[in-house]
Amino acid sequence: MKPTLILACGNTLRGDDGVAWHIGSALQNMPQDELTAAGVEVILTPQLLPEHAEPLSSANTAVFLDCSAIDQPGIVSTRALQPAQSLPCIFTHHLDPASLLKLTLELYGRIPLRSAAITVGGNCFELQEQLSEPVRAAIPIAIQAVRSAVFASHAC
Amino acid sequence: MSQTITIDPVTRLEGHGKITIHLNEAGDVEAAHFHVTQVRGFEKFAEGRPFYEMPSLMARICGICPVSHLIASAKACEAIMSVRIPHAAAQLRRMLNLAQMVQSHALSFFYLASPDLLLGMESDPKTRNIFGVAAAAPEMGRAGVALRRFGQSMIEVLANKRIHPGWVVPGGVTEPLSSAKRDQILAMIPEAYANVSLALGAYKKVADQFKTEIEVFANFPSNYMSLINEDESIEFTDGDLRLIEAGGKTIEDGMTASRFIEVIGEAVEPYSYTKFPYYKPLGYPAGSYRVGPLARLNIVQHMGTPKADKELAEFKQLAAGPVASSFHYHHARLIEMLYGVEKIEQILADPKILDKHVRATAGVNRLEGAGQAEAPRGVLHHHYNVDENGKITRVNLVIATGQNNKAMNDGVFQVARHYVKDGKFTEGILNRVEAVVRAFDPCLSCSTHAYGRMPLSIELLAPDGTTLDKLRAG
Repeated sequence: MKPTLILACGNTLRGDDGVAWHIGSALQNMPQDELTAAGVEVILTPQLLPEHAEPLSSANTAVFLDCSAIDQPGIVSTRALQPAQSLPCIFTHHLDPASLLKLTLELYGRIPLRSAAITVGGNCFELQEQLSEPVRAAIPIAIQAVRSAVFASHAC
Repeated sequence: MSQTITIDPVTRLEGHGKITIHLNEAGDVEAAHFHVTQVRGFEKFAEGRPFYEMPSLMARICGICPVSHLIASAKACEAIMSVRIPHAAAQLRRMLNLAQMVQSHALSFFYLASPDLLLGMESDPKTRNIFGVAAAAPEMGRAGVALRRFGQSMIEVLANKRIHPGWVVPGGVTEPLSSAKRDQILAMIPEAYANVSLALGAYKKVADQFKTEIEVFANFPSNYMSLINEDESIEFTDGDLRLIEAGGKTIEDGMTASRFIEVIGEAVEPYSYTKFPYYKPLGYPAGSYRVGPLARLNIVQHMGTPKADKELAEFKQLAAGPVASSFHYHHARLIEMLYGVEKIEQILADPKILDKHVRATAGVNRLEGAGQAEAPRGVLHHHYNVDENGKITRVNLVIATGQNNKAMNDGVFQVARHYVKDGKFTEGILNRVEAVVRAFDPCLSCSTHAYGRMPLSIELLAPDGTTLDKLRAG
């Protein structure tokens, strides 16, 4: 397991909802640099799942990448994450990062030392594979945010 | 005054539906229905597509059991091409289907059913879920995660993608297995054995606590249907179908995919978008039957692998003939997982699995073709007609969940009638009404081939149709 796990979550068939996959793919294909040398594993996933608890339990840093339907289009936000205090009483097809961290703690007794959610505000969620312009333009900013989150954790 | 209870949506299922329970004037259950409320569409929009696109298109019906759709669809295409696929290709597909069965059964048992089984039907609904299991029995949660990983990783190793792989094609598979990939899969086997054994042990410890549920969870005589090998062992990918009656006697044997079309009809009920398949010679509803793990284990004489055979012998002690209670689907599912791991190990031990010849080619040689395979939930049937250019002119899909539809409805009625008295019910009672459906592990997206949200709901209705109570979740 790599020290940093990036869970890029979204649906590439729903326009901007797929932005995390674009960011995650860019990170996977990035030439060797200080970020990739630091040991990063990227998982591209349509949704968070209980089985993501396993790789999370052995990572030192976790970054959850997703699109935000609330933020302004193209706005990149970073926030620190803690495990949920209580868990949702229903699990069918939705799991949020804080609940997944809590599940990881319950199952494996360990979570990453530092977890962050990095979101990009979305604009268009129609059936299309293209990103809207402000969201596409935010990808380099989001990658920089990932870099900051990873190295901030290394500095701790 | 009579009443109706609605459970909407029914939770911890693959799909979106609801349950209504109708009470009479005395407050007793008069009728109960399991409604599948999604709309089907795949059969229609595939028309006009080239037949060789069908496996990839049909796999999109489901994110849980796409492999079964891939295989049944490819087999229907191969009937159109009139080709027999190479042995290695057939074995590779068999392994892929087993890997999917293991991950799907793991989802059903650990994520959806184990909260009821390990925490209790009456336990606090706020914690009666995978999170509650993780807190109360983390080793079981870890086993579920690991078995899901085993199946999904194996699908990825074989077919290069976890969901909707394009590796299975009409004529075989696109790429042979390398020795490196074989060794990668073999390295995962010991952990998978350990996790299935853990689950079997845990299930057997708690099963006796559910005597009443075993008694009333869709526990009635019915017909059963599944694929079976000529040597009477279990089969998921090839072989022909056998239909048996409640006492275990064979009604029809050696049912090929083309014979299935002739003898299986699809009835329609006004309360569900999912059809009700039945064996035409017996008519509807007498010709209804159950499919899936319980049916498979009731039909076969042996599993064909030593560890699973030992478990099957124990399972068959549950009844003098076919095991009738649908509660035992859970037990059957665990035995099938054990079989899956063993069979994969057996197949990989044969050096022929690395054969490079894995695809046969041909054009359109027939204007009609049908294919069948066992999905985790039961036999899955694809039937296509094409024109001379190979364009699809008609599609009919008979899905495992549909074939269990009658039994699920009768099961909901049986459970509701047993537990709901004088119009009184509790959350734990309604959970049992949902749990009987969960035992079948229905995949409602498959059964309606729909696009949409997934959750399910329960309604309690008065004789005049007034809604007295409603549970909705998801």
